[in-house]
Amino acid sequence: MTVATEPKYDLQSKIDEIVGEYGAKPTALIMILQDVQKHYRYLPEDALRAVAKSMKLPLAQIYGVATFYRTFTLKPIGKNHICVCTGTACHVRQAVVIVDKLERDLGIRAGETTANGEVSLETVNCLGACALGPLVTANGIYYGNMTVNKVEKMMSDVLHKKRVSETTEEAA
Amino acid sequence: MSTNKLNSPAELVALKERLEKNRNANKTVVTVCAGTGCMACGCDAVLKTFREECANDRLENEVEIKATGCHGFCERGPLVVVHPLGVFYQRVKPADAKLIWEQTVKGGHLVNKLLYRDPQSNQIVKNEKDIPFYKKQMRIIFGKNGFMDPTAINDYILLGGYQALAMALTKMTPEQIIDEVKKSGLRGRGGGGFPTGKKWATCRAVKVEPKYTICNADEGDPGAFMDRSLLEGNPHQVIEGMLIGAYAIGSHEGFVYVRNEYPLAVKNLTIAIKAARDCGFLGENILGTGFSFDIEISRGGGAFVCGESTALMASLEGKVGEPRAKYIHTVESGLWDKPSNLNNVETWANVPPIIERGAEWFASIGTDNSKGTKVFALTGKVNNTGLVEVPMGITLREILYDIGGGVPRGKKFKAVQTGGPSGGTLIVETAEPKIHASMVAYGDLRDEDEAISLLDLPVDFDELTRAGSMMGSGGMIVMDEDSCMVDIARYFIHFLTEESCGKCVPCREGLVVMLNILQKISEGKGTIEDIEYLEELSQVIIDTSLCQLGGSAPNPVRSTIRYFRQEFLAHVIDKRCPAGVCKDLVSHAIDNTCNGCHACLKSCPTNAIVGEPKRLHYIIQDKCIQCGACYQICRYNSIKRIKHGEGDKLQERARELWQPPLKKVTAEVA
Amino acid sequence: MDKAKITIDGQQIEVDDGSYVLEAAKSLGIEIPTLCYYPYMVPYAACRICCVEAHGAGGWSKIVTACNYPVWDGLEIFTDTPRVINARRTNLEMLMANCAPVPVLQRLAEQLGITEPRWKTGSNYTCILCGLCVRICDEVVGAHALAFINRGAKRDVSTPFQLDSESCILCGACAKHCPTGYIKMEEIENRYIVHQEMNLSPNAAITLPFRQAVPNVPQIVRENCIHFKTGGCMVCAKVCPKDCIEYGDRPNFEEVEVGAVVIATGFDSFDPTPMKQYGYGKYPNVISSEEFEVMNNAAGPTGGKIVMENGAEPRAIAILHCIGSRDHDYHKYCSRVCCMYSLKFSHLVKEKTSAEVYQLYIDMRSFGKGYEEFYSRILDEGVNVIRGKAAEVVPSGYRQHEEGHLIVRCEDTLIGKYREIPVDMVILSTALEARRDAKEFGRKFNISTGADGWFIEAHPKLAPVSTTTEGIFLAGACQGAKDIPDAVAQGGAAAAQAMKLMAQGEVMMDAAYAVIDEAFCSGCKMCNDMCPYTAISFDDAKKVSVVNSALCKGCGTCVAACPAGAIMARHFTDEQIYAQIEGILA
Repeated sequence: MTVATEPKYDLQSKIDEIVGEYGAKPTALIMILQDVQKHYRYLPEDALRAVAKSMKLPLAQIYGVATFYRTFTLKPIGKNHICVCTGTACHVRQAVVIVDKLERDLGIRAGETTANGEVSLETVNCLGACALGPLVTANGIYYGNMTVNKVEKMMSDVLHKKRVSETTEEAA
Repeated sequence: MSTNKLNSPAELVALKERLEKNRNANKTVVTVCAGTGCMACGCDAVLKTFREECANDRLENEVEIKATGCHGFCERGPLVVVHPLGVFYQRVKPADAKLIWEQTVKGGHLVNKLLYRDPQSNQIVKNEKDIPFYKKQMRIIFGKNGFMDPTAINDYILLGGYQALAMALTKMTPEQIIDEVKKSGLRGRGGGGFPTGKKWATCRAVKVEPKYTICNADEGDPGAFMDRSLLEGNPHQVIEGMLIGAYAIGSHEGFVYVRNEYPLAVKNLTIAIKAARDCGFLGENILGTGFSFDIEISRGGGAFVCGESTALMASLEGKVGEPRAKYIHTVESGLWDKPSNLNNVETWANVPPIIERGAEWFASIGTDNSKGTKVFALTGKVNNTGLVEVPMGITLREILYDIGGGVPRGKKFKAVQTGGPSGGTLIVETAEPKIHASMVAYGDLRDEDEAISLLDLPVDFDELTRAGSMMGSGGMIVMDEDSCMVDIARYFIHFLTEESCGKCVPCREGLVVMLNILQKISEGKGTIEDIEYLEELSQVIIDTSLCQLGGSAPNPVRSTIRYFRQEFLAHVIDKRCPAGVCKDLVSHAIDNTCNGCHACLKSCPTNAIVGEPKRLHYIIQDKCIQCGACYQICRYNSIKRIKHGEGDKLQERARELWQPPLKKVTAEVA
Repeated sequence: MDKAKITIDGQQIEVDDGSYVLEAAKSLGIEIPTLCYYPYMVPYAACRICCVEAHGAGGWSKIVTACNYPVWDGLEIFTDTPRVINARRTNLEMLMANCAPVPVLQRLAEQLGITEPRWKTGSNYTCILCGLCVRICDEVVGAHALAFINRGAKRDVSTPFQLDSESCILCGACAKHCPTGYIKMEEIENRYIVHQEMNLSPNAAITLPFRQAVPNVPQIVRENCIHFKTGGCMVCAKVCPKDCIEYGDRPNFEEVEVGAVVIATGFDSFDPTPMKQYGYGKYPNVISSEEFEVMNNAAGPTGGKIVMENGAEPRAIAILHCIGSRDHDYHKYCSRVCCMYSLKFSHLVKEKTSAEVYQLYIDMRSFGKGYEEFYSRILDEGVNVIRGKAAEVVPSGYRQHEEGHLIVRCEDTLIGKYREIPVDMVILSTALEARRDAKEFGRKFNISTGADGWFIEAHPKLAPVSTTTEGIFLAGACQGAKDIPDAVAQGGAAAAQAMKLMAQGEVMMDAAYAVIDEAFCSGCKMCNDMCPYTAISFDDAKKVSVVNSALCKGCGTCVAACPAGAIMARHFTDEQIYAQIEGILA
């Protein structure tokens, strides 16, 4: 898998730049990968190789780290990122019904991306906003106290890039 | 930063005095809670409205608009408090902000509809401290949150911040500090409850340099978010705690390992560290005392297991978060095999008050073996969700009813889950003879003991452990009659199979086996033997797991079997899910209380619900996929979840009502 | 180091403080089962099979893992309480519930008395995630080519991106230590006959220079050694009980001043690979005579048994003579020893197996004492001797009635018939040839090689061990193919020649040698290159050429060549020659 839009030499210099910010300390590996992922929206294979080269760490270690932590994804994710919290508090408030609904509507399983690359659906184990459960975040925007009825509204907001506050206001 | 570097404790005192002098005690301050909970409810728009209004009226000098950290009462967000009146407004929308501005800030009148109304007495409550939610709390950790802008170090100094540090550095030896912490009886708030003073003393005794001071802010427990709110709302208190700890153990380097999922916490902490450095609280020669210490932030990668100290240290080293055996403690050989003292956010935040107000004061709060307060994240099926800080030893009843305000929608309390995936689920429903019988069978009670509910259990480290759960980091998830205990057990084990690092066999393979069995039970395919297997597996996993994640992983299963054996038996023998959660064992049906509001019909994904407006609705059993959407929607509790296959029994009348059109449809199709 | 007194199953033992329980138990002969333990790595404690019960003062007890639990004074360990056995069994059952029934688990299950795990989850991994491979690669080898990926139930072992790893050094340590066969080495080359084990392992880094080498001491082959690739490993140093491993050792060059040199560099064995018709290198059961000798060696890889590649005993063996000898395309000469060693092979095969033996020869050359008698004896043993050179070796299976693995085609010239002989194994009696570096080597000693590469002696009859260079002698097969008695005899002669020089104490030189008159030498250096004995060198200080009188043979080449007439052969001056001529004429 290569990043089609970016020539390889650019990739290496971009990675060098990110690594340089942390001074190539092994301690910073996780944070460096986070920044790389932020830039590319996922961790491309070439980028990981570039990180290995730049940090002088074994590629195997970096690959192990990239697959171990949940933050990282090695596959490109959709343009819109829907994340349903399935932490305990959300679970007891029926988050699973929300996940079911989204899976049905989008036609994908949690952890997958729709075929057109528009939406990725993911579950996460706790977002730390348990008082608002069940909680869904769409592109980083929090939708608290979700019910199945609010899902469609939320999705249309997400797909049409509506303003944040309007929706959450109604949700509250 | 406007403040110059402080070179001595005297300069700190002078700064505080200067700030106090400059402050106008009568100046109106509008504080808007900007914690994550309120943020999600749109507090930024509220804040914006206030700022706009203020600018429009050119009152910048008279009125201060402040975005503060979390106030704790997340259920009612966004929260606005107007000082010095102390008026507490809740669920404030941007339009309401305008109203508050006009009425309260400019006019000095109250806006009644935004005030808190006590559901029981229906009385309006004006002040924050009089609200029942806050009344029973004791906020020594969270107290400063509501009064300060987390990004302004001067706010913290004004509230007496860094005084404890100055005192520790100038008036106390490291040994005295450790002694003081020992005397205070402070125990680690991260889960295990290890005495903090003892830990520090061991770390100080190790003669290896350098030593590391680590703050564990990898709050992975689902259902706990007090560390997040602390770092977001009052990062300086944590920094100050770490500074005192570092001085006590003789460390000069510190790390804060914080979840990347907490962007606001990372941001505020970064700002706070920079400000502290600029003021001379961090770096070389702190406050001119010769002591040096600095803190680095490390953002975690999202792994529950990294809450375990050795895994966290592995992660800090840039490796996968795999724990190692703790036969040699981390205080002797931790990060890079150097002595490392790790405490969690809340523990560190407890340190400055102890130093400032003395061990005796701290030790006077709480129970014999658990001192001070504990912050709980009260969530789940409870009216007042949010962060509550209570003295140790408070009963569950007080937390759930007095502070939490009971269960919403008139349902019954059933259980409370504490300690996250490592903790257990405790029974709190009213004592029932059936359950008593199961506890007798399990050996937890003798026959002559009275049937009990744990509602009156005093909450502290030891009592919770004795009851089969643990303090954990303080998540407290309330469950009502709609929660199935088999499902809860399965949920936690599933969570743990995903979050286990996978290193050792019992945790990696054993939990998969347990999950498999629980899955079987929830599908109605379980046997009595399976329950015994679960108990046996639990014992071995606890005995042989490498780290505490595995060592406590079976707790949710053990405690649910212990208190809710009846419910397991119902799944296994009657093939019935009493709470109606396990899809394979449940049928949805509408009873006669249905008023035909149509809400369920719209929500049904398979069009299984039929009915005319304002008439009894009917769920076509063959089409129903038991998704539960209708159950969640119905406001009248008319949708019932009953034993699988018995749906039509309940819907007899509705079915009769709907038989004709159904027949017609089939005729047409034919 | 401090000592700690501990008790294991009631037996007291004193061990080093900080060592682990497992080692202590081992030294007491108490066996604790393990799956993820390897003595030369940091204990990992992942399999939890080695758990034991630790008891301490105050009556506490807990389950700990023996592999990484450090001992301390007063510790009491129990390795076979019901709690321990139950923990081990349940853990193994958990593994078995998710893993395929690999032998290593089956064996352990048998040991712990489990027939069938009580649970089965449906997954069927071959890998038990003991981590030996990853840790070996990281800790011992230092190549960092493997990693654990994912986590929890999804954990696996993999190279980055599941692709061939660039940092893999192909040492094979991971595959070797994998207890379940999840990691395999892919065969890249097809040739995997038994004789590949001529060394300790295919690409062993520690080998004997050759079998029966004297001294019989192994050495490290740097190109294969992990330590010299990554700086890691050093397991050999850890296992060696006598601390004999020295990585810093380098080949040493020592200068020795000697008065005589005996050259006995031997021969090379002809490589029959280019003779495609015999299928060497293609069919595993076509082997060279040298490989047969290795196989026949009692200390060899098969323990002296004569077996085919699949380990079975051959039913028929053909021995083909003159492979590379008496052949216009390869060596025209007769290698002299092949007939006799081929007959010896027949004898050995007959002695060790019941196989049929076929000898295919051009001429049977059994000269020498007792040789012809040996030939007769072989004939009596029932060896089939066919006069006729083998034409080719093909795999069997062309026709239905064919037996054996291979067919040898030849013409039996005595009966004038074309024959096809089915055999299981073919031994090629390869030629002896000069060592491939003979020419280069000869140049160093100023001795020359003939057209076939053997060193040339000073005189075939009068000086068979001497060379044209004084004090350098030849012995053995470096001078020409010969058998052991001849080589020994020649060696004796060469030694005697060398000793003669030593015994004299001083060397008598021929009086006739060249001298350079420094007054006339112009320093043109023309004579330097011309001297066949490299006896003339150039004196840089004086800018004149100088003759080393010990090397000079007085051949006169330089005398004739010197343009300045500065060189003069002693006793052969112009005046002397003129005087001699005059004397004759007088």
